[in-house]
Amino acid sequence: MPGGVSGYAAISSRVRAMYADLLTPQDVLRLSDSPDFSSLIGSLKNTVYGAYLDSLKDKDVAPRRVILQIKRKLADSYYSVIQMTPVETRPLVKQLYRYFELGNLKAVLRGLVTVSGWNTETALWDRVREVLFPLGPNSVLPAQAMIESGSVPSAVDLLRGTPYEEAVSFAMKRYSAEQNLFPLEVALDLSYWRRLWSEAEKLTGQDRQHGVKIIGSLLDMNNLMWAIRYHVYHKLSEEEVINYTLPFGYRVHDSDIRAVAAGADIAPIITRIYPQISDANSLLEEAQAGLPKLEFELKRQILGQCAAAFVGSPFHIGIPLAFLVMSDLEVQDLIVLIEAKSSNISDDEYRPFLLKPSLLNSERTSKQSD
Amino acid sequence: MFFPEAMTEVQLIVPAKDLLAVTDVLGTRGVFHQIDSTYLGLENAGPNTWQERSAGYAAVERRIQVILQALSLKEEYHASAGFDTKADLEAMRAAVERIEADVKATGEQANAERKRLEQLESQLHQLEPIADIQVEVGALRKSRYLYSVPGTIPASNVSRLETSLSRVPHVFFALNDDPQKPVVWILGPRSNSDVIDRAVKSAYLNPLVLPEEFEGTPAQVTATIRKEIESSRQKISELDSALAKLADTHKNELYKLLWNVHVNHVTAEAIARFGQLRHTYVVVGWVPSTDLKFLTQRLKNASQEIVIEATPMARAGHHSNVPVAMHNPPWLRPFEMLVKTYARPRYEEIDPTVLIGVTFPLLFGAMFGDVGHGLVLAGFGWLLSSKRVPALRSMAALGGLITICGLMGTVFGFLYGSFFAFEDVLPNNPLFKHFVVLQPLHNIIVILGIAIGAGVVLLSLGYLLSLYNAFRSRDWGRLFFDPNGMAGLVLYWSFLALVIAGIATFILHFPVPAPIFVISGVLIVLATFTGVVFSEPLKRLVEGQRPLIEGGTGLFVLQSFFEVIEKFISMFSNSMSYVRVGAFAVAHAGFCLAVLVFAGLASGGQNTGIGYWIVIVIGNLGVVALEGFIVSIQTMRLHYYEFFSKFYLGGGLPYEPLVLPSAQES
Repeated sequence: MPGGVSGYAAISSRVRAMYADLLTPQDVLRLSDSPDFSSLIGSLKNTVYGAYLDSLKDKDVAPRRVILQIKRKLADSYYSVIQMTPVETRPLVKQLYRYFELGNLKAVLRGLVTVSGWNTETALWDRVREVLFPLGPNSVLPAQAMIESGSVPSAVDLLRGTPYEEAVSFAMKRYSAEQNLFPLEVALDLSYWRRLWSEAEKLTGQDRQHGVKIIGSLLDMNNLMWAIRYHVYHKLSEEEVINYTLPFGYRVHDSDIRAVAAGADIAPIITRIYPQISDANSLLEEAQAGLPKLEFELKRQILGQCAAAFVGSPFHIGIPLAFLVMSDLEVQDLIVLIEAKSSNISDDEYRPFLLKPSLLNSERTSKQSD
Repeated sequence: MFFPEAMTEVQLIVPAKDLLAVTDVLGTRGVFHQIDSTYLGLENAGPNTWQERSAGYAAVERRIQVILQALSLKEEYHASAGFDTKADLEAMRAAVERIEADVKATGEQANAERKRLEQLESQLHQLEPIADIQVEVGALRKSRYLYSVPGTIPASNVSRLETSLSRVPHVFFALNDDPQKPVVWILGPRSNSDVIDRAVKSAYLNPLVLPEEFEGTPAQVTATIRKEIESSRQKISELDSALAKLADTHKNELYKLLWNVHVNHVTAEAIARFGQLRHTYVVVGWVPSTDLKFLTQRLKNASQEIVIEATPMARAGHHSNVPVAMHNPPWLRPFEMLVKTYARPRYEEIDPTVLIGVTFPLLFGAMFGDVGHGLVLAGFGWLLSSKRVPALRSMAALGGLITICGLMGTVFGFLYGSFFAFEDVLPNNPLFKHFVVLQPLHNIIVILGIAIGAGVVLLSLGYLLSLYNAFRSRDWGRLFFDPNGMAGLVLYWSFLALVIAGIATFILHFPVPAPIFVISGVLIVLATFTGVVFSEPLKRLVEGQRPLIEGGTGLFVLQSFFEVIEKFISMFSNSMSYVRVGAFAVAHAGFCLAVLVFAGLASGGQNTGIGYWIVIVIGNLGVVALEGFIVSIQTMRLHYYEFFSKFYLGGGLPYEPLVLPSAQES
């Protein structure tokens, strides 16, 4: 299928229709007003997620099952978009979707390391299955077979022929020596983001411009958070931080990452890259609480950028990508809500971490100016 | 055809003794959409043995696959071997263990030898880049001042490793440029060995384990390794011959076992989703009502004591958990694809496939009216459907749609009197001149007016369908107070009446009775309040939800104000959107005129000659390609944005019947 107007006509119409189904900030606020978990589920059933929650029987309405059902909608959105994306840009969307497969792979490996030995084989798979993203038949990951293989090396053997084989083949030597999943996970992350970036860079014209902007912004967030975490939390050396991060992105440059790795003051770097984040100093004063807030701020930037992609020419990959990223962030908001309500966490504690409502003011402003 | 297939919820109570026979019937017929009914089982019935059995079969299946792999046999299911759903797992496991024992020793020897060969080849490969260096490998390890690390590294990490070493003095050699695993050698002062070690480790460099058992320069070590490789290959060849003999011996039994285990695995997996009681099983699922009688008969044949409870699912109310099977004749399949691309209908909703099977070609044809162009497009559609051109096979599904749209373009071509851009051929033909009704370039205002009129009809139809859907789902709030419900329709029609009366009075100076203005105005105000301003509170009132107003009165007033403005703008813009149908008909005729003008210029005003006809052919092809694309986009847009948004919610569950491998293969 060709790109441009003809290639994007159908997908653009479809994505705009799906975009209209996304929850508004007011919807999320309304959901957060639910007094408890069961009334939250009741309210969610009146949203587009209702179709996914109706199939749950009363006794299955546990937070994990609800989250799984909610993720199914995201999986369906990806499926629809991938089917309609022009051939030239489809590999990028597919690779973006692999992010959830990567998450599943990490969950399987963690399951093997941390949960194995708790119970029988069947019970272990059941435990892990509950936290996996419902990719369905689109996954190349033999998740159940990996769990049933009983050990990380045997599980990794089953990755032959998958896109993960190359990354784990190098990292397994370190896993064998250190018996720690960290090197495996870092190698998988780096490999994933390298592939995604290379797919974005392969695009041409408007597709490239918008693809690089959205993918690059996601990459920026991850790269910056990795560098800060490795340096601040893990106290890794400069050379390790450099090797565990990537030298490209949209706004974050290699020099920024290297400066963080070398121990430069982080707040001015963040303020320079993201002038909208004015309180970087206070965020970084106390790393334990500050880094999640910084990550939240970066996600806000991405959400705003995705909303902006819907303005202007609609015939490029930016709109489907922006929609998928926004859908993912919406699911993250809902997960925060579900976990908060099911654990009886007070509103003040979790509301600052709801992405959509935080954009309410800026959205209103932009609507009025439209 | 107008609705998804009527479904019946089926609940079966199956005696344990008939379980396999019943499962076989359910899986063979391929009409039973299974629902996970484990929750209906007894919680204290103990562990779900079928789940364990399924896991057991899966494990045995994998073991057979490993044996097949060891024997270099293809991993395939031989359905012709027959199967036995009562096959004992233990017996199959024992058979697999017997074959495994037979194959294991030779297989393991072959594997070990292959690994050794791989290791030797890897060592050789590692040494090749440094084969020319006249230094004893062991000596480098013992150097007092120099620290060196040779190794393979992921190609993507090479530049990052160099960057990470930038703060210490070092020398970096890329010894080969293997795209996957390049070999690099880093040398630096021993005093910086900690930095170098951290850098190479974090760059996932796998240090070359230079063979300590081999002495000498790399060239000497390489020669020794080559001899070892030769001997290893010889040994592997002998072991492979032994494995080939074993494959001949066990092949048939292995394939039979694999098929039996596979069928049992899939069957057990299906049964694991049944609810398990003490002596019976509860099976729940959905069946198209038309298949119910036949399925019931087959089930009763399979089990005398089976209890079947069938609950036909009425379409009234909300049924988000009912699977949706769309049932349309083959010629409508391309339009079904269009509908599914937007969304699968809900069970209680109208399936709009038939509707857009009519409206889509109509709108397309109206914008693409030319007898010749339509026939070319229809021919192209037929070519796609026929799959005669390998390069176009991936677009075969679109063939039917393009053919029908092309034919409709031909019909409108007769009405417009256009034939391959010539606007004077058909009107002057004694036979075809009777078909010519309206020539777009000569009747621009009329055709635009007709287009808007058609839009009003389609939008009104959309509202009426929305009312019907809301009525069927007993959604009274939506029926009366939704912007797309009764109040919305009244608002739309009274708005239209006011606009038409205004145009008649003030532009056409046609006397319109004053009560029409008054009635329209009153209806607009009433419908604005019920269908827009108080739509949400009224709907919440009908549904018994509280509070009626969410987010405070101030926000409500502000929101209502903007919604009223948005509603009026959208009513106007939705109707005017259809003006494009007329506009594209005019544009199409305009393009055709341009082609004729260019052809005339090419022929020096003679309107004949080879140049003239070349321009005519190329111009027509250009118009078909360009207009074909644009018009299909516009038609899709009108349906997805303007029409579907009025009545169609979508979001139904796909109908996925259970099909066991035995049924698939047979």
